[in-house]
Order: sequence, then C-alpha cells, then structure tokens
Amino acid sequence: MSLISIEFVVFFLCCFILYYAFPKYQKAILLLGSCVFIGYYHIAFLVIAVAIAMLTYLFGRLIAASDSDKKAGWLYFSSIVLLAFVWLALRYPWIIPKDKFLFPLGISFYTFQALAYLTEVYWGSQEKEKNVVDFLIYMLFFMKFLSGPIERPGAFLPQIKTEKRFDYDCVTFGIKLLFLGMIKKLLIADNMGSYIDAMYTNLHSDSGIQLVLTCLLYPIQLYTDFSGYTDMAIGGAAMFGIKLSPNFDRPFISKSTSELWRRWHMSLSFWVRDYVYIPLTTVTRRWKRLGVSVSLIVTFTVLGLWHGAGMNFVVYGLIQGLIIIYEMETTSFHAKLLDLLGHKIYNVVFIIRTYILYALSLVFFRAESLNDATYFISHLSLSLKAGWRDFKIMPDHNYIICGISFLLLMFYEHFNDKQNLIKSMNKLPAVPRWIIYYALLLLLFIFGAFNSDTFVYLQF
Amino acid sequence: MEDENLIKELEQLFQEVLKKGQVSLKYETTAKDVDGWDSLTNMLLINAIEKKYSIHFGFREIIKLKNVGDLCNAIISKTK
Repeated sequence: MSLISIEFVVFFLCCFILYYAFPKYQKAILLLGSCVFIGYYHIAFLVIAVAIAMLTYLFGRLIAASDSDKKAGWLYFSSIVLLAFVWLALRYPWIIPKDKFLFPLGISFYTFQALAYLTEVYWGSQEKEKNVVDFLIYMLFFMKFLSGPIERPGAFLPQIKTEKRFDYDCVTFGIKLLFLGMIKKLLIADNMGSYIDAMYTNLHSDSGIQLVLTCLLYPIQLYTDFSGYTDMAIGGAAMFGIKLSPNFDRPFISKSTSELWRRWHMSLSFWVRDYVYIPLTTVTRRWKRLGVSVSLIVTFTVLGLWHGAGMNFVVYGLIQGLIIIYEMETTSFHAKLLDLLGHKIYNVVFIIRTYILYALSLVFFRAESLNDATYFISHLSLSLKAGWRDFKIMPDHNYIICGISFLLLMFYEHFNDKQNLIKSMNKLPAVPRWIIYYALLLLLFIFGAFNSDTFVYLQF
Repeated sequence: MEDENLIKELEQLFQEVLKKGQVSLKYETTAKDVDGWDSLTNMLLINAIEKKYSIHFGFREIIKLKNVGDLCNAIISKTK
C-alpha cells in the first residue's frame, strides 16, 4: 500500500474519519490502522514488527526496574545485541537463505527507534513506557513506519497521551504538506527518476558527459523523492494531530559537508550523532583530535552500512567522514579564505563545492556495486559519443518541468525559511488562495509522472 | 550567582581550544550560542576541562550537561 495509491487514500480516510468520530478510541484506531497498514504488505512484516516492539517494551521495563547499574548495563547490552542481530539477520540476505528471504519493510527505521528508546531508558533520560498500546503506536504508527522519520521517544510518546480534537488549522496544514510532498515526488523526482535509473543500468554505454549529468542530477532526484515522502509522512501525521520530526532543512545551501549532515536525513544523522558518535568521542576524548577523527570514521561507516551491506555503502560513509575530518582540520584556513573572498563569494564557491562532493559520493550510494561506482567515477569526463544529443539524458519536456519545478521549490524553501508559507497562505483572501490551489493541482495532474508508486528509501 | 572566576577561566580555555579571539560565556550559554562549539569540538573542550581541573566526568554526567551553568556546577562539585 504505497502512500501514492487509491488503497492508501481509502485506508487513510477511514482512519481519519474514525479517529475524530470516536475520540475515546483514538489510540485503538491508530494501532489497529497501523497493524492493517503493515499487515496489508505481508502478515510476516506485522508479526516481526510487533515482536520487535514487544521485545523492546519488555527490555525497557526490565532495564528501568533494575536494582543495580551493573544489572541494567547487562540488560541494556543484551537487548542491543539481540536487536542488532535480528536487524542484521533480516536486513542482509546472506544470513538467511536467499530463497526464503523476504525483506521486512521499515525494519531499519523501527529498529533504530527501538535502540533509541532502550538507550534513553538506560541513560536515565527517558522514563520507561508503562502503556503497551502507546509504545506500540510509537513503534508502528503507519505514517512513519515505512521510511521514518526515525522518532525519539521523548518527542513522540507524550503526544499520544492526550485526546486530539479536530483542529482545522492543523488538518489543513497537513493536507497542504501532503500536497507539497506529492509535488516534489511526482513533478520532480519521478519525472527524472526513470531516466537516471536507465543511465545507471546502461552504465557502460554512457558517454562521459552523460555520467557527469547523471551524477549532478541524482542528488536532486533523491532529495525530492525522500523529502517528498517525508513531507507526506509529516503532513499525514499532522492531520492526526501528531507532530513528526523534520528530516530535511534546505540541504543544498550547505557550505560544508558537516553542515550538509545537519540538514540531510536529519533524523538518521542526529541518531548516529547521539547514539554512536557522542559515546565514541567520550571514550576516545583523551586522544584529542585523533579520537574525534576515529569516531567520525566509525560513525559515518555505520551510517553508510545502515543503507546496505555492500562495500559501496561503506565507501559512501567513509567519504563523508573523511571530508568532515578535512573540514575540521582546516577551520583556520577556511576562516582566512572567508576574510579574503568575502561572505558572498565564499558562500557561492563552497555551496557549489559541497554539492559536487556530495553528488560524487552519492555515486557509491546509487550504484549497484563498488565496481559500478568506480567505473562511473573513473569515466566522468566531458567526452561525447553522439554529439550534443548526449546532453539529452531525458527528454527536453522533462528537463523543463524538473528545472522549473526545482527552481520554484528552491525559492519556496528560501522564503519558507523566513516565514511559514503554508500557514501564511491562510491569510490570503479565499479567491486567490483557491486559484493557487487549483493551479498547482492542475499542474500536478498535467505534468506529474504517475508511473511509479515506490520511493527510493523504501529499500532501506 | 555565577562564579565569575570560573567563567573567566572557562572563557580562556574555550578560546584556546576553539582557536577563537573572543568567547563570552554565561551560565545559560549553550553550544548554539558559541561559534565553533559543536559536536566536533565538544569532547576536546571536555578533555581540556578535565585536565585543567584534574577531574573526570562519567559518560552519563557528560550527556546531562546542557549549558555552561551545568558545566560550572559539575566542575565545582568535583573540585570541592
């Protein structure tokens, strides 16, 4: 049941109507709805998700009830090892025979939520959750089940303790965010996705310039696909009165890779920062800068491996870690360069540099294998095979739609950063407001690519 | 009541570790308020503080430090 499907619209509307029609049963509706949503994909997915959630719930109670730090430590360690093992066993087919393998959707996201909960309980910064229904909703809530955001217990659990009244502003905000997500996904990501896929499939017949274009366009496809999904998840949850964590904050204005990782897939990057990087730097702090560098390498390797077991994901993570170490070691040089160039030129140069470096590293993320990625990188050039036609890695029509839509999106994000444009829309008179809504809807139906119902991050 | 001497010592230490000309701290100052104080430099600061005052912070103590005030109180309680 993809978020962009008739089945999901029907399912969502049923849950939405029942949720506000029977406020006393809101939790039951959310939990039952989540179980139906997960079980609709495959009953085994539901069994696995509920089993992991219950295991986490019980371990959380045991850790909190421990009468000594040593006992709590052992319980915490055992639970982490067990969850990590289950995740690895179900995530990577070589542990389970390939013919019996069925990748449980969302497992990487909800397992990381489980690890966050247990860690917070062990650290004493999160109370154990007593209510099993609330905890199951934290783990299984359908709007974030497939691809996050990876929620923290402290941010999510208190929200479901109170009954939600129908809030017109909140619901309309959610609808608009859902719509924005669909625009990103259908107008931009899907209008270029199939052509970029084709470039990666026929790698050996692509010319140098085609590889350069593919490399530079892929970050835009990935961003609009994943942030489109996230907007839909956050918007859908907002309609139920639940606020999910943001995942993106204008990543393409980052002036360094370390800044990029504070703006890109934030719920994952903050997760690895808090639960991998900070504990590691604490242990290695006597090694000073070497300790920070080692911690960065390990953290970004974990972040890379979260996406998959291939060496290409390890390299993807390592590249991020190495660039951030370089940036950390050259802060004085960058400060001098900033003085020399001035803010405007420095910002433009380093925004472009950060984008190109990230685009290059994403080759390792997108390619099927390390061999494909190294072939791709080593054949990047300005060479043409069929003359100017090589520039047409997708039809002109798609270039124009994606180009204009992406520029408008960048403008929207720029102004939205200063003032929430979705909320400000309500201040417009009804006639121009509805003209804008209908115009956008019309554009979406005319130019949207309704040929895919999947999202890039579903595979994780 | 803020311990002004301790704050001044910490400002000096922050300037050395962060390589900044001027760092101004108050009890309510957090990492967001100080240019260069981020997850990359936080443990370098903690390590420098531990060395200067010959103290040791446990992991759980470190993650509970939310601002300069928490840091000062932790230093004071450990150096008493």
